[in-house]
Amino acid sequence: MCRALLIWLALAAVAFAAFVLALVSGSAHLPLTELWQALVSPGDSVAAEIVMRLRLPRALAAFAVGGLLALAGALMQVLLRNPLADPYVLGLSGGAAVGALAAMLAGLGALAVNLGASAGALAAILLVFAFARRDFARQQMFGALDASPRLLLTGVIMAAGWGALITLTLTLAPEARLRGMLFWLMGDLNGVESWAPALLALACALALTYPQARALNVLLRGEVLAQALGVRVAPLRRTIYLVASVATAMAVTTAGAIGFVGLVVPHALRLALGNDQRMLLPASAIAGGTLLLLADTAARSLLAPQQLPVGVITALVGVPAFLFLLTRKPEKV
Amino acid sequence: MLVAVFVSCSAARAAEIQVVDDAGRILSLAQPAQRIISLTPHMTELLFAAGAGGKIVGTVEYSNFPAAAQRIARIGDNAQLDLERIVALKPDLVVVWQYGNAQRQLDKLLRLGIPVYYNEPRRLPDIARAIEQLGRLAGTEDVARQAAQEFAGRLADLRRRYASRAPVTLFYQIWDKPLMTVNGAHLISDVIRLCGGRNVFSALKVLTPVISTEAVLAADPEAIGGGSAEPGGTRELDGWKKWSRLTAVARGNLFLIHADIISRNTPRILDGAQHMCEALDKVRAKRR
Repeated sequence: MCRALLIWLALAAVAFAAFVLALVSGSAHLPLTELWQALVSPGDSVAAEIVMRLRLPRALAAFAVGGLLALAGALMQVLLRNPLADPYVLGLSGGAAVGALAAMLAGLGALAVNLGASAGALAAILLVFAFARRDFARQQMFGALDASPRLLLTGVIMAAGWGALITLTLTLAPEARLRGMLFWLMGDLNGVESWAPALLALACALALTYPQARALNVLLRGEVLAQALGVRVAPLRRTIYLVASVATAMAVTTAGAIGFVGLVVPHALRLALGNDQRMLLPASAIAGGTLLLLADTAARSLLAPQQLPVGVITALVGVPAFLFLLTRKPEKV
Repeated sequence: MLVAVFVSCSAARAAEIQVVDDAGRILSLAQPAQRIISLTPHMTELLFAAGAGGKIVGTVEYSNFPAAAQRIARIGDNAQLDLERIVALKPDLVVVWQYGNAQRQLDKLLRLGIPVYYNEPRRLPDIARAIEQLGRLAGTEDVARQAAQEFAGRLADLRRRYASRAPVTLFYQIWDKPLMTVNGAHLISDVIRLCGGRNVFSALKVLTPVISTEAVLAADPEAIGGGSAEPGGTRELDGWKKWSRLTAVARGNLFLIHADIISRNTPRILDGAQHMCEALDKVRAKRR
């Protein structure tokens, strides 16, 4: 427990440094003294406006979204017992994207796009839940030590379906709307103002899953064994699926479908620190948040005043990182 | 230069009509084009301005000006072209927008031996030049020359009136999500210069860069302009109103121009320019 605490504190220190970096960087040059002034007594100055209304909300949103995605990724990898699982593997981002793109196709405003994304994500969650309900309800299978592929297959097929709908929407979209749609698909944090719901969701998701961490450790050994050791497998899997899905939905509605945070962060932590869910779940949340915060800071300041989509940065970091993990040693999840 | 003259002289013997388009290609026609296909709405407008509107046999979606353009057969939109229909219409000239059409499909047209005219205006006088060239290609030089002269005259008038007035710094928003503007090489920047404005993002390297909200706050332009989807639209710039410390917002210097008359490279861009020049004049008036 002491070790886990030390890990969390170390990660939190890095997160703090990332926050400082995020507040310092940007297209407008603010000296440190002005920055400090703006933070402690935000008066009526340009610096205060930039720090309190742009950089800080954006940094908090980035941290919350990254944390949600990494936590959801860690949960999905345990639930599916598959190292390739990420928050989007069961088609959730696809459903959200179809909802958001449909709202954009109809020429509706930002609020409708967010509602569309939420509705799409909810539809995706419920569809997978309905189609894979036998997998969720199943108590025990004779001699089946491996996780049933039914849930994973259901999700992957749903994701393929959503993908086709996305392509169709993009094809039907008039040229003028296409730009916004592609940008949404890549993920973007510019102009995000509502960081509070995402941060609150992150706290709730952690609070709900942390008490289950010990049971998740057992679940990783196989469902039959977990059942034999007194873990109530079916309700646990349902809870994990729902928490991970809602966390992902929250992240996607806040900032679009940002890739790779949810896949790479839990894996990196497992390889570096071990596969104890009691340590891993909070650590994933902090590290995921930090990674996305750093990526977003890079996205908005590398070519400032020009902006890169943050999804591009996370994917550019994520692809080589994942390849490195795959070649370093055989994965045991 | 000498080589260019020599090349054009020697080729002139073989073909009667010859122009150098905006892609730098030499386009030769044995006789004036009679069946023209236009692959962007603004080229349709330019052809009508050049007196060749009656020779257009096919065009793309959103070709809505002038009214007569609405009756022309559609052969796709600028991203997806129906190549079979294009060939079936037996065009003797296809006019395209260099960056607005899918290059792979254009290559196919070129391989089929259909003459293609590329257009990519970067400065306002390029529009007059394009009208004149299209007139020559379609054999309607007289109408085209007059239209080109009218355009050049009106442009000179605007320049005389506005170009040297007190400079106004301006952020011009072409899209809100993602937030996009134009750099100095974009035709809209030429309109801004014409009106005595200074585009705060003219130094960026990308033609239509995506920028952050903070960059606009840091630049603190005196005015914010933008294109609206509908004539008389008002919503596109509403997102800026909450930044009350921005000079442009504090002084109420937000203005919208219907995108059809500022973003299309046609004679109507001078209507958009007129609109912008007047808007910038109002900005200057608020200084006192």
